[in-house]
Amino acid sequence: MKQNNMLAMILAGGRGTRLHELTKKMAKPAVSYGGKYRIIDFPLSNCANSGIDVVGVLTQYESIQLNSYVAAGRRWGLDAKNSGVYVLPPREKADANLDVYRGTADAISQNIDFIDSFSPEYLLILSGDHIYKMNYAKMLAYHKEHNADATIAVIEVPMREASRFGIMNTDETSRIVEFEEKPEKPKSNLASMGIYIFEWKLLRKMLMTDMKDPDSSHDFGKDIIPALIDDGKNVFAYKYKGYWKDVGTIDSLWEANMDLLDKNNELDLNDPTWKIYTEDVTTLPHYVGPKADINRAFITQGCVIDGEVKNSVLFTESKVAEGARVIDSVLMPGAVVEEGAVVQRALVADGIRIGKNAVVGSADSEHIELVAKRVKGEE
Amino acid sequence: MNQAFGIVNFAGNHIQVDGLQDYRPVGAFSFLGRYRVIDFPISNMSNSGIDTIQVYIRRKPRSLTEHLGTGRHYNINSKRGRLHILYTESNMVSDLYNTDIAAYIENLDVIERVPYPYVVIVPSYMVYTADYSNLLQTHIDSGADITLMYHSVDNAKEKYLSCYTLDINRQKGVDSIQPNRGNAKNKNIFMDTYVMKKDLFLDLIHKAHKMSAMYSLVDIVDEACQELDVRAVPHRGYFASITDFRSYYDANMSLIDLKNAQNLFVNDWPIYTRTNDSCPTQYFDGSHVTSSVVSNGCLVEGTIENSVIGRGCVIKEGAVVKNCVISSDVVIGKGVHAENLVVDKHARLVRGKRVIAPPEKPGYIKRGDAL
Repeated sequence: MKQNNMLAMILAGGRGTRLHELTKKMAKPAVSYGGKYRIIDFPLSNCANSGIDVVGVLTQYESIQLNSYVAAGRRWGLDAKNSGVYVLPPREKADANLDVYRGTADAISQNIDFIDSFSPEYLLILSGDHIYKMNYAKMLAYHKEHNADATIAVIEVPMREASRFGIMNTDETSRIVEFEEKPEKPKSNLASMGIYIFEWKLLRKMLMTDMKDPDSSHDFGKDIIPALIDDGKNVFAYKYKGYWKDVGTIDSLWEANMDLLDKNNELDLNDPTWKIYTEDVTTLPHYVGPKADINRAFITQGCVIDGEVKNSVLFTESKVAEGARVIDSVLMPGAVVEEGAVVQRALVADGIRIGKNAVVGSADSEHIELVAKRVKGEE
Repeated sequence: MNQAFGIVNFAGNHIQVDGLQDYRPVGAFSFLGRYRVIDFPISNMSNSGIDTIQVYIRRKPRSLTEHLGTGRHYNINSKRGRLHILYTESNMVSDLYNTDIAAYIENLDVIERVPYPYVVIVPSYMVYTADYSNLLQTHIDSGADITLMYHSVDNAKEKYLSCYTLDINRQKGVDSIQPNRGNAKNKNIFMDTYVMKKDLFLDLIHKAHKMSAMYSLVDIVDEACQELDVRAVPHRGYFASITDFRSYYDANMSLIDLKNAQNLFVNDWPIYTRTNDSCPTQYFDGSHVTSSVVSNGCLVEGTIENSVIGRGCVIKEGAVVKNCVISSDVVIGKGVHAENLVVDKHARLVRGKRVIAPPEKPGYIKRGDAL
């Protein structure tokens, strides 16, 4: 907290239903990405690299894995004195009924006491399911420079896709004059990234009011941000340039993994000045056998490859046996492709085994096939 | 195993690994890409339930202390356990006097203060997995004064030449400890691994110190074979002694075969190391990789054959790496052909188009060298 007087809260309660079986037993922020990471490693590492010491993680849906994962703040270097990652699921309080988080704003409202205990000047709100690298310290500097009451990070999206996002309309000083959630006819292409910096005192007041409002959906995008703008507060847009992905579907999760195969991909996980930290697993380096054929691939430790791997991302301890072919695919941690099996345009879920000579996915499918159950092969 | 503490001993004067050892002690050598040699003894101890571990360093401490840190990555209980890094005093007239006994004398009070009755002493320069809690139990059950561990080999004539051997009698008793003179194929190679009572250990230290300023632990234990009950326990599984340049190269190469590696990396026996937070390795169009072990954080465009590649290496377009052991952060430039080499950290092979050593005598590229 000493570093910049800003506390971060990560909204990690989302279920991510469009990821189907991947999020059946696990919250979306805990889903694996990029060979060795989980999605929530990104906001957590960004916080650590931006000099933020205290991070609250608001969990709700299937949170056992996520809770234990993020509680080990040491992984991201968030374990110095007065530093830490706090797991904040809904809890019973003396003067209120036990309630689930009814919306993103409510999740913060229910933890006002937690935030107050650090008495921060600024509060940073983040989403736990986006993949990007961002220096929040720069955003805070921008916020201060503009004397803003709130600052919202925005990214330019293609105009034709703008109607899928919350769109910010700004004046020439980047002050936000209007916010439209998924507008049919967007006036700009500045999409909200769900990253907000607030003056804590002001937000606190607004949340107190919002909690009592029976008509509110207790959501930042729907309630808090529009109210701020309507009140004529100084809300500024902070333009972010770089890689940013919300992996809401199997297709987009696959695509975000495929992005890593490009030689000069924008995310650049190899940047020594902005490392993404994750769980330290004890496995061997990856083993490449005598029959292996690897071309355009992203492969992490613990993998064993003796077959063909093309245009694919292999996660920790996944295996490709001799004569097997993995093409345009993602193998999640511990996935096994046995001898002679073919995996094409597919995403094989954690620990799933594709049996001998089995075939999953196809080269010309419209969507990526999610393989979440064992595929029996020839005995 | 709350009965024993561990000592990780350094390589004595008789051990010389040309090249690599100029920069760091053997324990800090990069091994199989992501490990350091010392990860094996410390992980063995940690997995055996030993949580008080003393690591002795004789010279060039930087890279080893950096790697060991607080020892948390070895899964040692952070409150009850402790990884202790201890030094010898180097202001000696000659390096010859800088023995392990001198180091123990220097740190006598630290050893005396450890509350456990037994000590397990292991080398920082040998690679194997072993459960020391079993070894200790065998030792206690047998009633022996000292128990040593050995590995039987059938190639002692040309290998293990800087190692000691055990003369074992029919009752599994040790008659003497002798240097391997390379005069016989079949030998019991001493794994420089001991178990004994702490009190006996302290006695031996004092005795050795009085006897000769150049004595090391192995000398005094050899002498003790005459009057004490010294026994030997065989070790099975993978064993490598990193005691000269060739053995370092061979040990790395032998583990490229997954079946061999599975003799060392056994189930439920994790080998811990310090994480570097490097991202996965990226293979680009044109890469061609077979029979190799590759660490994270590499960028591969060229060909890798039968090699071990450390973290964060760059193998550029058209480059060929064959039968090499490459440490971390090495660059093999466009079209460069590297064969039969050990390439030390941060080296860059960018200009010389062909850097090839004869297979019977692998070459060494110095740390940070640009070629």
